Amino acid sequence: MNITLEIFAVILLITIGITYWAARRTATTSDFYAADSGLTAAQNGFALAGDWASAAAFLGFSGLTALYGMDGAFYALGPLVAFCTVLLLIAEPMRNTGKYTLGDIVRTRMQTRTSLLAVIAGTVVVNFAYLMPQMAGAGVLVRLLTGISYDWAVIFVGISMIVYVAFGGMLATTWVQIVKAVFMMTAGAIILAMILSMVKFNPLLLFQEAESKYTASYLLPGNYLKNPFDQISLGLGYVLGLAGLPHVMTRFYTVPDARTARRSVVWVMFIAGAFFACTTVFGLAAANFVGQDAIRAADKGGNLALPLLAQYLGGGKGSFGGDLMLGFVAAVAVATILAVVSALTLSTSSAIAHDFYVNCLKGGHVDGKREVWVARVASVAIGLLAIALGILAQGVNVAVLVILAICVAASANFPVLVLSLFWRRFNTGGVIGGMTLGLVSSVALAMIGPAMRGADAWWPLVNPTIVSLPLGFLGCVLGTLLAGRDFDNEKRFDAFLFRVHTGEEPK
Amino acid sequence: VFQSATSLEAAHASIRVLVGEKLRYLVPMTIIFMTCYVGLTVLAAFAKDFVGAKIVGSVNLGFVLIAFNYVLSWGLAIAYGLIAQNKFDPLATRAAASRDAESVK
Repeated sequence: MNITLEIFAVILLITIGITYWAARRTATTSDFYAADSGLTAAQNGFALAGDWASAAAFLGFSGLTALYGMDGAFYALGPLVAFCTVLLLIAEPMRNTGKYTLGDIVRTRMQTRTSLLAVIAGTVVVNFAYLMPQMAGAGVLVRLLTGISYDWAVIFVGISMIVYVAFGGMLATTWVQIVKAVFMMTAGAIILAMILSMVKFNPLLLFQEAESKYTASYLLPGNYLKNPFDQISLGLGYVLGLAGLPHVMTRFYTVPDARTARRSVVWVMFIAGAFFACTTVFGLAAANFVGQDAIRAADKGGNLALPLLAQYLGGGKGSFGGDLMLGFVAAVAVATILAVVSALTLSTSSAIAHDFYVNCLKGGHVDGKREVWVARVASVAIGLLAIALGILAQGVNVAVLVILAICVAASANFPVLVLSLFWRRFNTGGVIGGMTLGLVSSVALAMIGPAMRGADAWWPLVNPTIVSLPLGFLGCVLGTLLAGRDFDNEKRFDAFLFRVHTGEEPK
Repeated sequence: VFQSATSLEAAHASIRVLVGEKLRYLVPMTIIFMTCYVGLTVLAAFAKDFVGAKIVGSVNLGFVLIAFNYVLSWGLAIAYGLIAQNKFDPLATRAAASRDAESVK
């Protein structure tokens, strides 16, 4: 599979060139954390697509559809609907109120260190829960596609992300995401065109053939998610969890104002949404052309359905076209992981350097040059930790962490964020109550559920969001009421609201 | 900058107008997409036969509703973009201007 390596080498050279270019333009804190807020709506829209479409989306959705029919299509729809929540409720207030991190918003609102610490905890837990499975996935994927060993694959991915982030900051991370999104869309468009020409531009034929090959039950829901409450939990987790994912939300700081933030969401909804819709077509085509048995034989979870489909469309195994298509899709898959892990590393290092070191420990009194230096060191440390965790995760079931990341984001980060922006009486006690109850219930329920304990689970749901999300909100309300009224904070709320809606200081 | 209580009050009043206007559009829009999406997951979870009813050829109601949710999300995105530009942005600009005018006095 030399051709994969060759195509990937080209992508790698492009990203290193970008990092070199970005490093020379990254000096201030605003450069490092937010690419100096200088991106256009289209640029940020593509970067958001590159950030949000992880390998789970690029490879996973097609694979799930190929193996389980409609449940895969459900999986693909959620990430688009999630951006409705972000567009209507979060993107503009976020851009108007904060500067570099999720913690900025709560700190501006509450002006207490304890509330900031709670948000840092939420950020770090979500990011690491997201980062670890990505590293483990990278190890498996790179090994499968190129033949190098798992450990070396993890080390290679880890070092690349450290280089992008530590040297090029947000500017390099952004352009790595944009390049990846363009490659992903190109691959998607080529595959879609080839599928459509094979079915004579009648997609209905795909459904018909799938039905005759795998019976009508293949096109029904419930083949993958057996417990109906899991289905609802998954939906809720997606729709409200995205707004609590720090590595995606900090992308809104890279544009100059709320209007651009809004337009960038519309961009990502059209480009990423179109790609997600295509994964359903790809999945059906893979089931029809490649066959479920061949897909399962290559990878039990179906993650290689799209590369195998590309190989088939290019002319099959051994043909030049087949190898080229397979190599292209595989290289894009690796680039996808690089773009996502870089964003996670950057967002975690911002939380450590900006939220914890500067605003918690030093009360905001740190020279910009020193802050950037601390952030760079933090990103190297986080990257090395991620490599170590990735190597340790080999063979361990990390599926539970994927669920945990989105569940904690929806159950702890989202309630705290949304109530900080919109509830006058919300106070530091509420931040701590919501973060604690949301985080602890998510982790506890995920750990005793089937994702971790298999058949002898003490709790029936794989995804606990349906319970932990209401608990997170309950924690916010109880904490607020128990802490008593904070009249200074309530008085400041008018001024805060002015900022949330206009983006300007109320003098 | 010195600012009298009345000018702060004016700025906050203009923000209340903006928040009211936002609620008037955002609440129904949020209810619409949440109902359509969560409703679909509930249907898929508890009304399999209904979702499996054939609509066109082998395509069942579930896939049609999934496609509808895509179109709805894109439609809402465009509608929100237009409403924000035509209704919210001018009010936000006015609120910022009222603050500036008041604090100059």
